[in-house]
Amino acid sequence: MNPFELAEPRTLKSALKLLDAGDESVRVFGGCTALMLMMKTGVFQPTRLISLRGIEARYSKVTSAGDGGLRIGALATLGALGRAAAVKKRAPVITDTLRTLSNVRVRNVATLGGHLAHGDPHMDLPPVLIALDAQVVTAATAGSRTLAVADLFTGYYETALARNELISEVLVPARTGRRSAYVKLTTRGADDWPTLGIAVSVVTDGKVLSDARFVISAATEKPLRLASVEAVLNGATVDDALLARAGEAAAAEAELVGDARGSAAYKTELLRVHAGRALRKALAA
Amino acid sequence: MATTLGKSNSGSAFGRSIPRVEARAKVTGKAEYVHNLRLPGMLYGKVFRSTVAHARIRGIDVSAARALPGVHAVYTAADIMRLVPDPHYGPAFHDQPVLAIDKVRHVGEPVALVLAADPHVAEAAAQMISADYEELPAVFDEIEAMTSKAVVHEVLKPAGTFPDLKHLKGKRDTNIALDFHLRRGDTQKAFAAADHVFEHTFRTQQVLHLPLEPFVTVADPTPNQLVIHTASQSPSFVRIEIARLLGWPENKVRVKVPYLGGGFGAKLYIKLEALVAIAALLAGRPVKISLTMEEQFYQITKHAATLRIKSGVSKDGKILARECEVWWNGGAYADIGPRVTQKSGFTAPGPYDIDHVAIDSYALYTNLPAAGALRGFGIPQLVWAYESHTDMIAKALNIDPLAMRRKNILKEGRPQATGTLMRDAGIEQVLERLAQRMQWEKTFDRGSGKLRRGRGIAIGFKASISPTTSVAIVNVSADGSVMVNCSTVDMGQGSDTAMAQIVAEALGVPVESVTLVHPDTDVTPYDMATLGSRSTFHMGHAVRLAAEDARDKLMKLAQEVGLSAETTSIPDIFRKKYGMQAGNIVGVGSFIPSYAPPDAQGQTDNATPFWMIGATGAEVEVDTETGEFKVARLVNLVDVGRPVNPAIVETQISGATLMQLGFTLTERMDFDAGQVTNASLADYKIPGIRDVPAVMENEAVDMVQQTGPFGAKGVGESGTFGVSPAIASAIDDAVGVRLTSLPLTAEAVYRGLRANAGKPLQD
Amino acid sequence: MTTHKSISFTLNGNPVTAHAGNHQNLVELLQGQGLFGARESCAQGLCGCCTVVVDGQAVSGCLTMATLVDGADVRTIEEPQAGEGGLDAVQQAFIETGAFQCGFCTPGFILMTRQLLDAHPNPADDEIRHYLAGNLCRCAAYPEIIKAVRLAAKKRRG
Repeated sequence: MNPFELAEPRTLKSALKLLDAGDESVRVFGGCTALMLMMKTGVFQPTRLISLRGIEARYSKVTSAGDGGLRIGALATLGALGRAAAVKKRAPVITDTLRTLSNVRVRNVATLGGHLAHGDPHMDLPPVLIALDAQVVTAATAGSRTLAVADLFTGYYETALARNELISEVLVPARTGRRSAYVKLTTRGADDWPTLGIAVSVVTDGKVLSDARFVISAATEKPLRLASVEAVLNGATVDDALLARAGEAAAAEAELVGDARGSAAYKTELLRVHAGRALRKALAA
Repeated sequence: MATTLGKSNSGSAFGRSIPRVEARAKVTGKAEYVHNLRLPGMLYGKVFRSTVAHARIRGIDVSAARALPGVHAVYTAADIMRLVPDPHYGPAFHDQPVLAIDKVRHVGEPVALVLAADPHVAEAAAQMISADYEELPAVFDEIEAMTSKAVVHEVLKPAGTFPDLKHLKGKRDTNIALDFHLRRGDTQKAFAAADHVFEHTFRTQQVLHLPLEPFVTVADPTPNQLVIHTASQSPSFVRIEIARLLGWPENKVRVKVPYLGGGFGAKLYIKLEALVAIAALLAGRPVKISLTMEEQFYQITKHAATLRIKSGVSKDGKILARECEVWWNGGAYADIGPRVTQKSGFTAPGPYDIDHVAIDSYALYTNLPAAGALRGFGIPQLVWAYESHTDMIAKALNIDPLAMRRKNILKEGRPQATGTLMRDAGIEQVLERLAQRMQWEKTFDRGSGKLRRGRGIAIGFKASISPTTSVAIVNVSADGSVMVNCSTVDMGQGSDTAMAQIVAEALGVPVESVTLVHPDTDVTPYDMATLGSRSTFHMGHAVRLAAEDARDKLMKLAQEVGLSAETTSIPDIFRKKYGMQAGNIVGVGSFIPSYAPPDAQGQTDNATPFWMIGATGAEVEVDTETGEFKVARLVNLVDVGRPVNPAIVETQISGATLMQLGFTLTERMDFDAGQVTNASLADYKIPGIRDVPAVMENEAVDMVQQTGPFGAKGVGESGTFGVSPAIASAIDDAVGVRLTSLPLTAEAVYRGLRANAGKPLQD
Repeated sequence: MTTHKSISFTLNGNPVTAHAGNHQNLVELLQGQGLFGARESCAQGLCGCCTVVVDGQAVSGCLTMATLVDGADVRTIEEPQAGEGGLDAVQQAFIETGAFQCGFCTPGFILMTRQLLDAHPNPADDEIRHYLAGNLCRCAAYPEIIKAVRLAAKKRRG
């Protein structure tokens, strides 16, 4: 690695200012895990980086919101998220997902904001947060905005964030009556990037399903909701036939990408079978 | 420590599970590795590597790199040749240039070297180098290499370093580095007479060792000597080869090896040492090169292979004749591939008693990273093929897999394919004990519905590399403490502990009084190398002989000064002789087993000093909807003779098994035009703790190697033999899908299920 | 803003200062202090050989910028322990169960096991496997490591 300058602002505002003033290659980081990997391989050679670690502590906090949801500072580490009692209570699917997300050391430093802003389709939390209808709050010198996590991802390693815009918080709505699950399928050993990720979230009154979210990741260029699966689930009662129909709809709608972890055809078969299993897992949650 | 010869206070040292002698150093992070070494004035080297698989080098532009502030030097082959006019090295062929000369033969081949005091500067400079290539047609597949017009080496250059490779002769315009042939009986006639003839072809993928301590070497040009500190499994070979390259006497080169952070055959013979040594001499300063994990993917690998087996079988399952053809993908440099071809070649028919055998085994050059020895010297590839083949025959004839093996197993005293009689080879014992532990003859619950269960067994065997030499010195100090000078490298297998135990046993002193002098060619004598599970047997004998020599000399000394060695403590004998705590007794031991090279038909009555036996039983659970499966249970049985240290032996069995589990299920080097596309631990998946089967059982059967030191023999590789075919057979047993290529993936199982159902998966 | 700076931190309980570049990582910083127990191997935070405990949390030294430990409490495998012979219960358990071969990954496993047992004094096997999933052992001493963790937990409980 080549030497580079490092700025360590104390406030989000000054970080945004530095970002505005800096040249195009300036980047910010929270945990600096993904960025470090890019720098070590020479893919990214910065002249200046901005560390967000020193900014206001509230951007690292996980708080229970008054409406039953969660308000998570973008600099909260994945480890903190995994240990947070509030998360386990209000969005247990996040706690469950974090268990097999990377490893303890990476989770100890990697931040939720970085996890989302990286735009890597293999990340585990994006499909989960989309299934939970979560939102991100962003900050820029021009002002702040709120957008759905579903709208954050625009392509392969591409997000809707402007170059000088940062994620400051993530909002997870109350889960009233909602059951969720994430299934991480790995094909080359127990601990790996997912071959296919499936996040499911449904509202159930005990029998009839409604307001379903069905999201896939890792085998697509960005996490994707599958409307046809949601249509199959909404208003239906759960039985084996429904799960099979959901799998068929998923396999028909999804256009998956093949790679060393599996061919597109095989990943489609995994989706066909595991779509229903993911739903079972959600209902059992 | 007042010890008396032959009266150990703590009982027998041999056969006890004492903790490793270096345990404390390892748990405090203070164990010595080359990784830790920094010398005053040391420069860091960074290699610029080829990006193409096969090309003529038109030019190399190092000007920008040389101009970068902080760069000490940039070398290409032209600079190397100023010091060494013919800078080619290798154990079997002198085919590998220190830096590419005129031509590159694989992606990742070293083309230039940057030296700088700051490793970051060296790295930045290496990125500024560019090379202009005229690309040549490349060959990657071992079968294509047999007849390919793309020739990796225009002329073959055999080295002749090893006696058993002396027959290698250089040829022109061929990729066949060595062909080995064995003929016993008349296979054609036997096939014609057989009730059934079966023929199957199997494939194994290219994988690699990936020690967590990547290759690292430091060379220090001192006024009197070139000192090389290197993570090597073969310090004696490094000294000889570096001395040869430089045209120096051996004693001007000193090779020191501390602990290794894993070896598995990767760090054998000569790897970074030539480049680092020559760079240090050119620069006149110490030089260190540490490879990154990514670079390891281009240094040395394990042979991919294609294996064809044809068997003539009677209707009741007796194997009458077998033909084996094996093509080993050796990559761009022979390394020890020709040895794999011959040494492994001759056990290709498996541990079965077959009268008519023909073997053809070919080592091939291709434009892939070089392949060498990896924990088993080709045996795991062979066992994969012959044990899968055995079960496919058994299934076709509706014979139980255990019964099939019992009917054909090679029994004690019977001749193996080379004609060598089996001695102290617990093939039957291992098989029977495995059957017992698997409860093979009881009903097995194969499951129902979506989840099906299956089981499989497989057994393999291996000859030791021969003839090879080990020399050792045992030095008894005047206080009775003992130092063992030997060049066996402790790379994690526990050889320091094993040698201490053998010496303590031979001298009859407590094992705590024995320490090992780590390989240092100035003070530790010649050893062929730490490889092929040979150390316990060969070096074990050498240190035993040295200890016995020291014991005899001590006895004589005691006699000379009028004392009884049986009742007088060792310090008292010295004190009586020298009047104070002074003097040494030095014992020397040298061991080379007898060996008879094979004749033109591959026949010999003495192919190996001992046999290694390993077998695995596997139970799997398969999801019939997706092909996903898990290995629920692995039972591993080996014959290691008498275990020197049962706890370390068990760790070796289990470690070997789990390494092979990776080669069976998840590991595969992926290539695109010779470029490794998964050169990282993120994408090349070695087993992690969550990949360990829920049930693992390991056992060394009760055996004695009559010719071994205190009955012992090698153990490092035996655990690998049966893993792959046992799992493949278990999958077949569960869902009727027979896989013939490694790795065994869920997708391959799923595709098999679909094919069986008459609905092949369309891409 | 500069590319290098002088940093102060606590290393195994002792205050130290060092000059470090932003482009250097924590493993390099420790090497400069003569400590080699944290080893860069995979360079991706996957193998755990470079495990270091910073402000009470395990991190991958190879992914940690050296300058970011300014003011931090840094602990490594070399830190002397209060137990018998300067070894703690985890180190003793690793020796007694033979939970290593080449030893290159061992410091990382030991530091992670201490963290695991701090968080879960009596871990189930599933917890052990999940917690140590980010540490690789190419010698595959995993079965012995699981035994070592169980034994260390027992020793620590007294």
